[in-house]
Formats: sequence, C-alpha cells, structure tokens
Amino acid sequence: MNKQQLIKLFTRFGIFVIIAIFIYDIYSHGSIEHPGKAGYKAECSECHGDNGEGIKTLVPPLHNAAFARAHLDSIPCWIKFGMNHPITVGDTLYDQPMYPNKMSDVQAANIINYLCSDFWQIDTQVNAQWVTNHWKNCQ
Amino acid sequence: MRRLIFLCGFISLVLNSCNNGKKLPFYGPKTVSQKIVDGKQEVDSVNYSIPGFTMTDQDSNTVNEGTVNDKIYVADFFFTSCPSICPKMMKEMGYVYDKYKGNGNIQILSFSIDPERDSVGRLKDYAKRLGNIDGTKWHLLTGNKDSIYELAKKYLVSATEDPDAPGGHIHDGNFILIDTKSRIRGYYDGTDDESVKKLMNDMDILLSEK
Repeated sequence: MNKQQLIKLFTRFGIFVIIAIFIYDIYSHGSIEHPGKAGYKAECSECHGDNGEGIKTLVPPLHNAAFARAHLDSIPCWIKFGMNHPITVGDTLYDQPMYPNKMSDVQAANIINYLCSDFWQIDTQVNAQWVTNHWKNCQ
Repeated sequence: MRRLIFLCGFISLVLNSCNNGKKLPFYGPKTVSQKIVDGKQEVDSVNYSIPGFTMTDQDSNTVNEGTVNDKIYVADFFFTSCPSICPKMMKEMGYVYDKYKGNGNIQILSFSIDPERDSVGRLKDYAKRLGNIDGTKWHLLTGNKDSIYELAKKYLVSATEDPDAPGGHIHDGNFILIDTKSRIRGYYDGTDDESVKKLMNDMDILLSEK
C-alpha cells in the first residue's frame, strides 16, 4: 500500500466517522426530555415505578387518568406532604403510607406537568404559583 | 480408564465454568476452636453462624431455625407501614420469590421491625398485596420486639426505633444471603436492581456448592 492509498483510506474513514457522529447527535438530542422527568425519577419512581406501574397492590399505579383528573387539586399536597391514609384507585384499596418529599414549587410543578403530559394526556399546564397556592390549603 | 478420567475432567470443567468456580465469602467474626487430633493440638477456625430464633409468620405458623435447616435463605427487615424504602425492597424481593418459588431448597424470611403493629392479620393482608405469596416459601414474620432487634444485630444489620424517621423506624435495605449451615454469605442492597441480580447469581452459586 503506497502513501496515496493510505491517505485515501484515512480520508474515507474520517468522513464515515463524521457522518456517524452527526447521525448519533440527531438521535440523541432529537427529542428533548421533559423537565419534570428527572424529578419524577428522583422522587417518585422508586415506589411508583419508572413508567408509573406501581407495586402490586401495595403502591398504586399512576396510570389512572380519570382518577388524576378528579384529584388534580390534591396532587400537589400528596407530592409534598405524603399521605397517611388508605386510598382507592380504580377498584383497589391501597393502604401504604407515602412519605413527604423535600421539593420546591418549581420542581413540583415540573413533575405534575410531566405526569399530565406523559401519563394522563391532560392538557392542563400548572406553574409554581399554582402549586404554592395549593400548598397553602393542604390539610 | 483414561477415557473416564478425561470425561470426568471435562464434565467438572464445564460445571466449573458455569460459575467460574467462584466461591462466596463468609461474613462475621470467626471463632477459633482447639482440638486434640492424634495427640497433637490443632487449631480450627469456625465461621460465624446465625443463632436460633422463634417467630410467627403470616399464616400463624411458627418459624424457627428448623424451618430453614439445610436450606438457603434470604433475610431482610421491613415493616408494613414503612413509607420509605420498603415498597421498593418488597418489589425486588418479589423478583427473588418469582425466580425460586418452585425451588424447595430456598426460603425467604422478612422480619418486621414493628412487630407490635404488624400482627399476623396485618402481615396476611400485606402478603395478599404482594400478589398472594406462598406462606411456606416467603415468610413475613412477627414476634417479640426485643428478640427481633437482637436478631437484626446477629445478622449484622442495623435496625433501630427513631420517632423522627419516616414511619418511626430506621433500618438499612440489606438483603442477607444465608447458606444451609446458617452462615452469612452475602449482603445486597434491596433497593437496587443490579445488586439484587447479583444476589440471584450468588444464590445459584450457593445452590451448586456442596
């Protein structure tokens, strides 16, 4: 193999690598992650599951959009202060205490918006002020 | 005869390579015993083992060291009203249960560190919530509170009461692997998927250990 052939080979390889990086870049940044997803993973997914599947009949799943619609105003309180009473979701009674979470109003709003858009297909978008107002009225 | 030796060699090689011949460690303080063998003094070190205990499970059955005699078991400490790591631990233990529920040599013991509240009835309800688990395979245990806290110490894990902690108790999320002779062979993080996979791998190693 002479010098010219070697240069040609390297050039071709270089072009291939650049194209590969370009394609990878499009794929990896193509979809922007929801800002509430990281918060959900950190604070909620351990019990409720990565996809909101819950745990058997111990921890309720978060898939029930009808339930979420009916209880949207309670959700900020549950997220922040936890829950210490049984709750019926669908036709199952769950009786597992939920622990309080330290989080800011912005984080809570992001998580609720993530749940609304990715889990419940609810168009409502909440903001930090909405969360703070609800926190004032938590029992 | 040579063929036979080769065959045996080959078989042991294959069997060994399955688990890379890996041996699990022994945890806990060793005790030294001295014996006189053929008029000479020999020093023998004995591995630590879990002492006997008596508890009651979700079906009101007595569970003691005899229940796990000659069996490999996984132990953990939890309580039903635990708001923090327990649900996740139970989910992970559920994977262990699902994998080994057909294996007569495996048992699971989950000790409640809140035994006064966790009555047999409450444990029975919890067992149903875990998917109606078989009470002869996976025992949810209650008993004398002091004995349970003492037992946690014997498993070399921490469990304490603390009114300030969520649910009023502090405990680590360890799964503890115990062999057929009540010796501790591994600790795993019961809230971590990867660690629990390693536990199941180590259980296979222990099952093939004779």
